[in-house]
Amino acid sequence: MTRKSNIETGFDRRTVLKISAGVAVAGLAGALSSSIAQAADGIVALVHTQAAGDNGPVDSMIAKLKQLASEKGLTYRAIYAQDPATYETIFRTLGEAGASVVVSTFNEVAVPIKAVAPDFPDTKWIQLFGDAFEPPMPNVVTVSYDYYLGCYLSGIYAAGVSKTGKLGFIGGISIPPINADFNAFKAGAQSVNPDITATAAFAGSFQDPAKGQEIASQMFSDGIDYIQTDAAATDAGIIAAANEMEGRMVSALDPAQFDLGPKSLIAIVGLDFGASLYNEVTKALGPDFAGGQHVSTGLGTGVIDFKLSPVFTAKGPADIIAKSDKTWPDVEKARAAILDGSLKVPFNTAL
Amino acid sequence: MHDIIIAILRSGTPLIYVTLAAVIAQRAGIWHLGLEGLMIVGACATILTIVATGSVFIALCVAIVLCVLMSILFWFVVEKLKANQIIAGLGLTGLGLGGTAFAVEAIFGTQAAVSAEFGLPRIGPMFGSYGVLSILVVLMPVCVIFMWVLLRRTRFGLRLAASGEHPFAARSVGVRTDLMRLAALMIGGVLCAIGGAELAAGSLQIFSQNMTAGRGFMAFTAAIFGAGQPIGATLAAVFFAVVGAAGIRAQLVFGDRVPHDLLLGLPYIATIFGIWLSAKLRGGTKAVTGFGELRDS
Repeated sequence: MTRKSNIETGFDRRTVLKISAGVAVAGLAGALSSSIAQAADGIVALVHTQAAGDNGPVDSMIAKLKQLASEKGLTYRAIYAQDPATYETIFRTLGEAGASVVVSTFNEVAVPIKAVAPDFPDTKWIQLFGDAFEPPMPNVVTVSYDYYLGCYLSGIYAAGVSKTGKLGFIGGISIPPINADFNAFKAGAQSVNPDITATAAFAGSFQDPAKGQEIASQMFSDGIDYIQTDAAATDAGIIAAANEMEGRMVSALDPAQFDLGPKSLIAIVGLDFGASLYNEVTKALGPDFAGGQHVSTGLGTGVIDFKLSPVFTAKGPADIIAKSDKTWPDVEKARAAILDGSLKVPFNTAL
Repeated sequence: MHDIIIAILRSGTPLIYVTLAAVIAQRAGIWHLGLEGLMIVGACATILTIVATGSVFIALCVAIVLCVLMSILFWFVVEKLKANQIIAGLGLTGLGLGGTAFAVEAIFGTQAAVSAEFGLPRIGPMFGSYGVLSILVVLMPVCVIFMWVLLRRTRFGLRLAASGEHPFAARSVGVRTDLMRLAALMIGGVLCAIGGAELAAGSLQIFSQNMTAGRGFMAFTAAIFGAGQPIGATLAAVFFAVVGAAGIRAQLVFGDRVPHDLLLGLPYIATIFGIWLSAKLRGGTKAVTGFGELRDS
């Protein structure tokens, strides 16, 4: 029956399906490019290379981008670029669509930006969490964060509140800036007590809370009672492991995580990517844009700081709160010393 | 030691449920690369429904219904539209990963992780430190044995294997091979929903995007590693969980002396070695290939 019908029409079922699929794909591509083109005037785009939903950097950047767009009447796009092979294509598409500002994140986008930015001189490019370009490009600003300084303060604090003298650090993947965060954390702790131990482990992903929970559970069972996280969405599993027993402490990344561990999430080394994006895009949209510059953001800028959780302070165990109160002046003292330059924290990327 | 066993049971249980789904699909002659998508839908539906209704039972039902519907869609595309299984499976995975992200944003207006106030019931303090495990961990061995009986000791199982390996022969004795594959995929959908529910609500009580992190593909590999047999594939999944836990232990013990990247790669090296060893021990006996003679209509 099918064969007879094929002879009559000249098309078999597979051909019809292939044509339908082709038409659908072409239609989708057309709709997307049309959508970007319609919004080209003043479009501000964020190309994020980690998935949203991390209760951390990506979510805060998207939230601030929405806020900025609402305040200034801009059209914005938040695009998740999962595959490094697509970065350059996405940037080029945005450039061709006449985007006014394109923001992207982390070191892996440096090469694609270097390849695309010269072809679109009217588009301003901002790379958050990146190194300075050599040579500088007149329409590119790179921003780095001295997150390791916050981790150093966390180490000092951990040494004061830990009962076992065993600390842990869980990163997403082992890359130089995260290795430096661990070394600073360890150095901070050992500046208080040289006998304290700090153990690092990596989940191999920034989006695997189940793996984070596995690693944290093993660390806690080894007697570690304070873990500094550096793993984005993986953090949720680390906090879940800490929630299973009182006395386990975690320092994470973002204020949005406070409620995930009312009795375990004691502090954060806050890196407010959203505030940083807001500041840099605001500059790029105004007359203050200084292309070709590298901006280094550290303590005292409002973007990075070590902060206690108000939720834990209200609900945490009394003995830990007492230790925390006793330790906090040491943290304040170290922060002041870093800011006035009398304390230099080494940026050591070797593990 | 108990902590290690608990860690293996926690990480292994979701994998085992999804591995059983891969096994039954493979025996029906389908290379099921949509497991990752079904698993994440199960995880997402469970947490979102717990948040919305406060009922774990309803959450499990919703997750199962959604995964079964997606499995029927997969069957329709593969069986009736004659689409390539690999491409359709990857499409199903893409649909699951993208669809869950879209659902979270559409419902909550944000792509942030969603956490539920409670998860699946735990087996309780009477089991000591094992009390933190969920009831689905306890049900897992029962499910494995049930699947073994179903696939190896029932008429349905024999017909299913025939539908996968020798569809001509199966049809010649009156077996509706298309319906056998539908049944296999629907059972697989239920198992993926349970696996996803255990992953998200067993101990975490959180859903975040892409949280399956390749576990669906690991389950697919475990089914091949286990030669398409329920017990063998379960042992393969347990092996993956053990080497995963051993990889973490190696980082904690040797992390200051050996590069972390190498230690992170150990489970994968062990997996390749294990698959090679398993093939050697089988003495060249062919696993269920699942290719059969599908395109014979």
